Order: sequence, then structure tokens, then C-alpha cells
Amino acid sequence: MTRTLSLLLLLLAATLLSARKFYEDDPLLREPKPRNVEKAENRKLSDYYDLLLHQFGPPGELQPEKGEPIRAKGINTLGDPMEGAWWEKRHYFKTMSREELQRGPAYGQPPSLDGKWTVIGAKNEGVTPGFVIVDSRNNSYFIKFDPLSNPEMATAADSISSRFFHALGYHVPANFLVSFPMEQLEIRDGVTLADSTGRKRTMTRRDLYEVLLKVPKDGQGNYRATASASLPGKTIGPPRWFGTRADDVNDIVPHEHRRDLRGLHVIDAWLGHDDSRAINNVDVLVKENGVQFIRHYQLDFGSTLGSATQKANSPRSGVYFFSWRESAKLLFSLGAYVPYWARAEYPNLPSVGRLEWKTFVPERWRPEYPNPAFRNRLPDDEFWAAKQVMAFTDDDIKAIVETGLYSDKKAEAWVIESLIKRRDKVGHAYFAKVLPLDQFSIKDRTLNWVDLGRKHNLHAPETVKLQWSNFNNETSARSPIAGATGNVLPASADGYYVAELANPAKPTQTISVYVRQGDGAAAVVGVERAW
Amino acid sequence: MLRTFSLTVLAISAAFPQAPSRTQQIEQERDKKAALLKPEVVTKEEGFLRNFKDKKYLERFAAGYNGLRASVGNMVVGSGFAFGPEYYREDLRGGELTFRASAQTSLRGYLKFDTQVTLPRLANSRVNVDLRATYRNYGAIDYYGLGPDSRKTGRSHYRLEDTTLETVLTFKPTRHVRLGPSLAYLATNVGPGTRSRQFISTEKQYNIPGIDQQTDFIRTGAYAQYDYRDNPLGPKNGGNYVVNYSWFNDQKLNQYNFRRLDVDFQQFIGFFNRTRVIALRAKGSFTDTDRNEQIPFYLLPVLGGANDLRGYRNFRFSDRNMVLYNAEYRWEVFAGLDGAIFVDAGKVSSRRGLATNFNKLESSVGFGLRFNARNTTFMRIDTAFSHEGFQVWFQFNDIFNQRKFGTTVGQPIY
Repeated sequence: MTRTLSLLLLLLAATLLSARKFYEDDPLLREPKPRNVEKAENRKLSDYYDLLLHQFGPPGELQPEKGEPIRAKGINTLGDPMEGAWWEKRHYFKTMSREELQRGPAYGQPPSLDGKWTVIGAKNEGVTPGFVIVDSRNNSYFIKFDPLSNPEMATAADSISSRFFHALGYHVPANFLVSFPMEQLEIRDGVTLADSTGRKRTMTRRDLYEVLLKVPKDGQGNYRATASASLPGKTIGPPRWFGTRADDVNDIVPHEHRRDLRGLHVIDAWLGHDDSRAINNVDVLVKENGVQFIRHYQLDFGSTLGSATQKANSPRSGVYFFSWRESAKLLFSLGAYVPYWARAEYPNLPSVGRLEWKTFVPERWRPEYPNPAFRNRLPDDEFWAAKQVMAFTDDDIKAIVETGLYSDKKAEAWVIESLIKRRDKVGHAYFAKVLPLDQFSIKDRTLNWVDLGRKHNLHAPETVKLQWSNFNNETSARSPIAGATGNVLPASADGYYVAELANPAKPTQTISVYVRQGDGAAAVVGVERAW
Repeated sequence: MLRTFSLTVLAISAAFPQAPSRTQQIEQERDKKAALLKPEVVTKEEGFLRNFKDKKYLERFAAGYNGLRASVGNMVVGSGFAFGPEYYREDLRGGELTFRASAQTSLRGYLKFDTQVTLPRLANSRVNVDLRATYRNYGAIDYYGLGPDSRKTGRSHYRLEDTTLETVLTFKPTRHVRLGPSLAYLATNVGPGTRSRQFISTEKQYNIPGIDQQTDFIRTGAYAQYDYRDNPLGPKNGGNYVVNYSWFNDQKLNQYNFRRLDVDFQQFIGFFNRTRVIALRAKGSFTDTDRNEQIPFYLLPVLGGANDLRGYRNFRFSDRNMVLYNAEYRWEVFAGLDGAIFVDAGKVSSRRGLATNFNKLESSVGFGLRFNARNTTFMRIDTAFSHEGFQVWFQFNDIFNQRKFGTTVGQPIY
């Protein structure tokens, strides 16, 4: 009886107390094969509601004011999001060629100029006038233009930023810069257009003419536009910045805790993407390998890189529309308090709008209004994004900015310089908050890593002390191994080991690198950062 | 007992199964989600706001039904809230013709009927023709007597009634320049005010030109405007300079012929990325008559009120000449709100020479808030102080963005 009781107690303890840290399939690089999403309906969100909700009633689960912060979820044991519906490993993880960077998403091709483009709808989403067309190959595109006041601005921003976002791993539409005469367009019979009061009527050639009157022409009388290839699948509305989609069985991590969304703050700051509202994302129901599932896209990059799509971006870009504290300071100081952004200086470059780097401080950058994913970000979320931003070399940035096809070379040079300088500020800001060591690997039983701060010439090499411990995978207990302070794995016995890396000058910043020794080979299975 | 304990342990173990792999752990989470799947919906509140925008309720309200819509405001200061129906079409002849007709009354019983036909796109939009007919019947316009020394206690009121038929031709030779002639027929009438229980009627207190005999006028004029403001509806930088000259020819009594020069110079100096603006205005009206001719009191320049000298009551001063200086410092509080502190100074005078020096200026200081939408001030609250007390103004306009010269009623009180 005693033996039975003991076994039962052991079973109970194993059930309730077991804290197995690593499974055999860790680290999981890809999300498990998605389950079939039987039904997901299109539902449209309200941008007014989104603004009010996030401004005055922060939704989702925010970080506690005290105690342990909520770490990012939806990541593997190495700290990276699993590849899949939200994000894919790209440039940082496997350096993309110049052609790949300039190409952007692999799907789609520019609309064919052989034959007319048939207008099948007038765009009534977003802020710019535009059309939906099909080309002679029956591919459909959203056509978006620049404002008269800022030729090339929004289209260049859309082209450039969509490629950066793609290289950073996000799903984005394939955007192409096109130039065409008015004669390129014809209207399909029965196409309707909503007038300024929302009433629909049949679209006429005059409507086409009136839309084109509001957009700039180039020297040859052609119209420059972004042709955004229709996404492959059925669009079903934007994902929110919090919670999960109620109809998506695969969407199990609250969005405010996704690392790929928390880290987006850093990327949006770098590219000046302050219009990162929920409605500028979209979910698409796709079918691949016989499975229907939802893929999440980032959209509408016309409001980046100094552009606000319809006009140059506001100098307020980078701060919230409204915050009680800032507004009170401004109101009661009678304007004597001058926020940093009001002092920024911008060159007169209409095709850029307002982009600069001198007053840019990544950590104080904000989108137009709060969102819980950005608010929840932690230093390891920021580092994850910053290391990817830093992966763009000067030449990479030049290559992507070239896809903006600026006719003003001063504008192109300014965008390149700004992005390089802003990138470096991103690196300085976020590499200082955690030990900037990454890309851990075991080779010849030796633990190797890359000091990203040193690699990018941001600071002197980190002075790193290392201590190996045995690691109990079931209880997470660590037993330091005396004298095991070198890079070489201390023992060849199967099991788990952890190397704690620390810089004595920054004692709170540590990294635990977990190594699994099995079948004669050792491999890094986990990375945890503290700060 | 052991059996019960065993069953309990097994049940707990079953309830908290250990996943054999990370993949299984994720699949367990998916299992849980699968049991809770439901359609994505938006709340009623979100649905309402979404429809409000998508179905363009505000735009539809503003546009009305088949051109019929509500007309709100745009009446003389002191009228109280004004409203009425308006028929407006800007799509006639393919947008080549605009028609507007409105009838308004206000909380104080003022009336205004207005009809306007505009040809906005002549000569490749370089020429604009405006035809307008306006009837106004304002029951209680304040009058305090003539000259700079009129007393606050001398408040009286009168009924102002007039009908104007007017045409204005505008040329736009360059992007910033507008100029053109105007021609109008103006039929006027004044009478006892409608607030006789509160204030004395003007004719009982003042014996002034125009109080007893009424006439009609032909008004001819010419104006020129140089406008390089960055955004005329909410300027942060640039300037707007307008000069308007009018000849008023008495058609009945031949004793009220006069000439009037109106100038309105505005300059906006934006700094700190145009989040701070110093707005300056110098405005003047100068009249002139031949010997023995007079100017009816209701066509004399006026000063005081929500749109000029804000520390004083509406139309507090009146005389043949008027100058006004405004200086505002505006600062952005957030995207929808500006703060402002301001100084106003001005005076009226019987002689032009006295008006154009800086002696004996009446002045007021104050502060205000400007509420903005789409870079346009749609509402302002100003509190102004002068030696005659303080005034609080609640207005639906930008103080400097009053009327377009040459394209609306040419009277001082509008």
C-alpha cells in the first residue's frame, strides 16, 4: 500500500509540479501545420472606434505595474517567432541578395502594359483616390497615387517600406511602381462609384478624369502610381492589436503578446510608420496544400518615410495624437514648453515629406495612438526587432530605396542617409538594453556567438563572463559546474547544460544559453535574456 | 480511501496531461480554441461608428437630400444661433454652375434670405462670376452713438433691413492673385429695434444721418487680393492682403453719396514647425464724401465684438473711419486644439488722419481656445478684457477668416 501511495504521489507531483522546459522538438522553427479554418467571415473595423478604444480604454492585457513582466509569447525557445501565418525568417537569418531585397514578395508581377487596364472598382478605402483594375492577364491591382503637392512621395514610400517590411519577415502585398497614360484605362460597364455623400452611381469617364485631375503627371503626361497586386486569397478584415480572432483556430496567442507585433514598434519607429492602425493590416483566408488558414498582412505603407499619403507627414509624427500629460504641459505653459519634435528641421523635399534623423530617438517614438502590443514591448522584444533592422547594410538600404524611383536624387540621398542614421540610433538604443549577443551555436563542442554591437561598430566588444551549469529539464534546477567558465562544453554526457553569459559591467544583463547534448551531438536549444 | 485517492490522482493527471512535444502543446491550445470558436463580430458601438463613417452620415447631413440641407450659422454677430433650410447644388451643368438658396432665422428672430449663382470654372477656372441676391432683416442691431467717445451706457438698437442684388467678376491671373469689379443694387431700411423692453430704440436717442429717411444705392467696386497663405482655412504661414474700393451712389435722396476703402492685411508667421503661429492683422475702413454729403449711420464702419475688438460689445464704436490691429500668438496643444493669447487695438475717427495714427487706441487683451478639425478652426472660445469689462465669445469661425472681399454682401455689418 505504501508503495502504491508513493507511486500515486509521484504521479501527482509529476503532473502538478512538472515544469519541463524543453521538448524534443524544441526549438520549433515553424508553427505546426495550420488547422483548417472552416469559416471566417469578412468583418470591417471602425477606425474611429479603434482610435477611441486605444486612446481612452486600453484593451487587451497590459504589462502589470509591479512584479514579473509578461514575456512575449508565440516564440520558440530561441526567442524568435515561429515562422508561419504572421512572420517568416528573412534577411537577418539568411542574407537576402540585392535582387531579392528589391524584388520584395515572391508573388505577383507588375500589371501588363499590353492591352488596356480595366477599371472594375473605385477605391473607397484609405485616404487617396484610386481604382481597382485588371490587366490583360486578368490580374487585379489596387492603383494608388501621390498627392498633387508631393509628387512621388506616397508611391515611393509604399514601394520602399513594403520591401523593408518584407525583408524583415512580415507578409506584405507586392507593390509595383507604374507609369501610365490616361488612355491606358477603360471602365468596365456597370462599375459604380460612391460620391462624396456615399451614394453609389455608375462610374463614367468623367469620374476617371476628375480623379486623375487630383494627382500629379510626370513630364511625359503619364501618371505615376503604386500598383498593389491583390493578395492571394480572400480578405476578411484586419486583425486587432489585442486578443485573438474568435474564428481562427490557429490564432492562440493574444496579439498584444506576440513578439512580432511588440517588436514592430522598433521597425515602425525606424521607418516612421506612425499610421500603424489596425485597419492598416489585413487578414487573408488562403488555401495551401489543401488547408485553408488565415495569414496576416501588413498593409498601406504610403504613410511612412515622411509621407502622410495625402500630404507631407505632420511634424507631430512620432508622438501620440493626444496625451493628457503632454497636452497639459503645452496648454498651461502657454506654449513655452516646446516638444523636441517641434524643433526638428526638414529639408524642402516634396517627394519625401518630413523625414529626418537628428531628433529621432527610437525609444520615445510613438504611433498616432497607443496600441497594447507596442505598450507591452520589453527589451528582448525590442532587441529582436533591432537586430533585424541592423542587419540592413548601407548598401542594402540603398538598394531598397532605389525602388522608390525618386527623380530627385537629393531626395533619394536624403532618404538613404536618414534611414542609415535612424538605423544606427535603433542599434544604439536597443543593443544597450540587453547583452547584444546572438546567433549562438555549438561547433566542435565550443559555444560561439556574434557580438552584434561590435559587428555593427556600435561599441567595443562586450566583456563576457561565462559559467556552465548542469540543467534539470524537469525542474529547471541549475547546478553550476566548478571551473567550467570557458566556451567549451564542459561534459560529453547526454543531458542539458546552460551557459550563463554576463558582462560584469552590466550585471543585470545576462543571457542563458541552453545546450542539449544527445546522440553524441550538442545543439543550442534555448536562449533567454534578462536585463 | 486509497481507491478514492487513486481516482482523484488519475483524474487530475487526466485533466492536466503532459504534452509529449512542443507541437503537441500547441495542438492542445488549438483544441481549446476549437471548442470556443465563434464568428468574429464587432460590438454595437463599433458597428455604429463604422457605419457612421462608411455610410457618410455626416456628409449626407451636410449635403442634404437632393440638394436640400440645413444651413447653420453665418449670420451677423449677436443674432443668436441661426438655422434654416438651404438648397445647394454644385453639380449643375457638369459642375460648371453652382446654385445656392437659403432661408434662415435666428434665436433672436433675425431673418436672412440668400440666393447665389456661381460660374466657378470660366476660362479654365481663371474667371469666376458670382451673382447674389440677399435680403436681411436684423431686428436689434446695437448702436452706441458716433465717434470714439461714445459711451457704453448709450446703448440703443435698431432694425436693419436691406436687400442686395450683386454681381462680382473675379480674375485669377496667377495662383495668388485675385482681382475684379463688382456691381450691386442696395435697398435699405431701418426702423425701431425689437428689444425695446431692454434697450432704447436708436431713433429715440440719436438724431443721426439715415435714421429718418431711407434710400437705395448702386454700389460699384473693385478689389484686389494677394493671398499666399499655406492653408486659407487654417493658415500657419503666409499672408493675405486685400484692398477693396467702393462707390455708393444714392439713388433717391442724392445726399448719401460716399466712397469707402477697405483694407485687410493679414500675416501669419509660423515657427517650431508651424506649431506656433503669430497671426497679425491690420484692418481699416475709410470713407469719404463730397461736401454736404453724408453717410447713413448703418453704413459707417463699426468696431467691437467677437470678430475684431474682443474686449468690447458688438458694434461698440462707429464713425467714418476705423482701424483695427490684432495680434495673436497661437500654440498647438494637440492636433485638435490650439491655445491663443491676443491683443486687439483699434479706434474709430471722424477724420482719416486721426484714424491712422496710434493715439487713443482702444485695446483689449485675452486668451482663447481654437478647436480644429482637418486643419480648420471650426469653433473658438475667446475671453477678452478691456477697460469696459470682459467679454466671452463662443464662435464658429476663425477670427481672421471672415468674408471674401468682393464675393459677399459689402456692408460693414454682415
